[in-house]
Amino acid sequence: MRDKFVLVQPWLTLLARLILGGVLIVAGALKVGNLQKSAMAVRAYEMLPIWLANLFGYVLPWIEIGIGSLLVVGALVKINGLLGALIMLAFIIAIAQAWARGLSIDCGCFGGGGSIDPEDTKYLSEIIRDIGLLGLGVFLYFYPKGRFALDK
Amino acid sequence: MATSNSGDKGTRNLVIIMVGFIVTVGVVFSIISNRASSNFEIPAAVSPTDGYGIVLNPTATPKIDVYVDYQCPACRAFELMNGGYLNEVIAQNKAKVVFHPMTFIGPESILAANAAACSADENRFVDMNLALFQNQPAGENTGKWGNETLIALGNSVGITSEKFKQCVNDGKYVKWTRNITVESGKRNVNSTPTILINGKPLDRNTEYGDPAKFRAALEAAGIK
Repeated sequence: MRDKFVLVQPWLTLLARLILGGVLIVAGALKVGNLQKSAMAVRAYEMLPIWLANLFGYVLPWIEIGIGSLLVVGALVKINGLLGALIMLAFIIAIAQAWARGLSIDCGCFGGGGSIDPEDTKYLSEIIRDIGLLGLGVFLYFYPKGRFALDK
Repeated sequence: MATSNSGDKGTRNLVIIMVGFIVTVGVVFSIISNRASSNFEIPAAVSPTDGYGIVLNPTATPKIDVYVDYQCPACRAFELMNGGYLNEVIAQNKAKVVFHPMTFIGPESILAANAAACSADENRFVDMNLALFQNQPAGENTGKWGNETLIALGNSVGITSEKFKQCVNDGKYVKWTRNITVESGKRNVNSTPTILINGKPLDRNTEYGDPAKFRAALEAAGIK
């Protein structure tokens, strides 16, 4: 069992890198083309002072693209896995607090965002997805060595 | 072996530096290109203290703020349902009405907002505002709204001046839309349409989609 894991782990790491990295790149790229909307999405969570929310809206998409790219090519996997996990944790907290406070917002995870009709919210599926991605980031933190990586 | 290893390391470090560079440039560019400035050209009817919105009836009370995006379908629905009454209120000088054309849906919202601002300089904003919503393309940024279409739309409501044409073609007020963005952000407007009466938002569940309730809300603010 242990031997088998040793054999499979580098491939699992590759898979986790590609999924988490790919999702981050797509999420960032979809937002980078419309940063006004991105800032609006962050504001709608009503967690941060407005100037900080706007700053996050402008900065976060680029950070996602950066972490995602490094994960896909396999550079600094341990750190970027951790950063990816921390970002997902922040998203989960943000979505959960919006849900708990009864806000009606689109998570704005892949572009979009802002206030929406209460019946259009999808908090649970958004949180489940982000927990999955959080898991991948944690896995990468503990098992950063994988196939086809720039890290040696 | 040792040399190939250090070569790999070099590639890795180069990639890390490149990604870091792209992210940094992207962040700096994004922040700079979304900043507001009091140096941008603004239409004559725009008041910086009213969130850089286009002000109609500046001395009347109460004050009604209207935040829309010309590509937003819900804004179209609102305009077609309540715009007629609101325009009556404007025509009869019963309220100060401030329009904030937001542009978060993308490039064609910017073109439309610019054209609307140009129409304000011709004192035809209300007509242009209505015409834009009446002719809102199905779908966002489809390529249907270009400057020529918008000039033609202006013509259809009686704006025929060369100045208007030039204003639209030059994108004279494109940068002003950034001021609208920043100011509406400061006021925490996160969806459109958003209507504030004396700073207080209408009830999203009822007062937007029901003309009788919209009238009642205006009446409660003293508009009879």
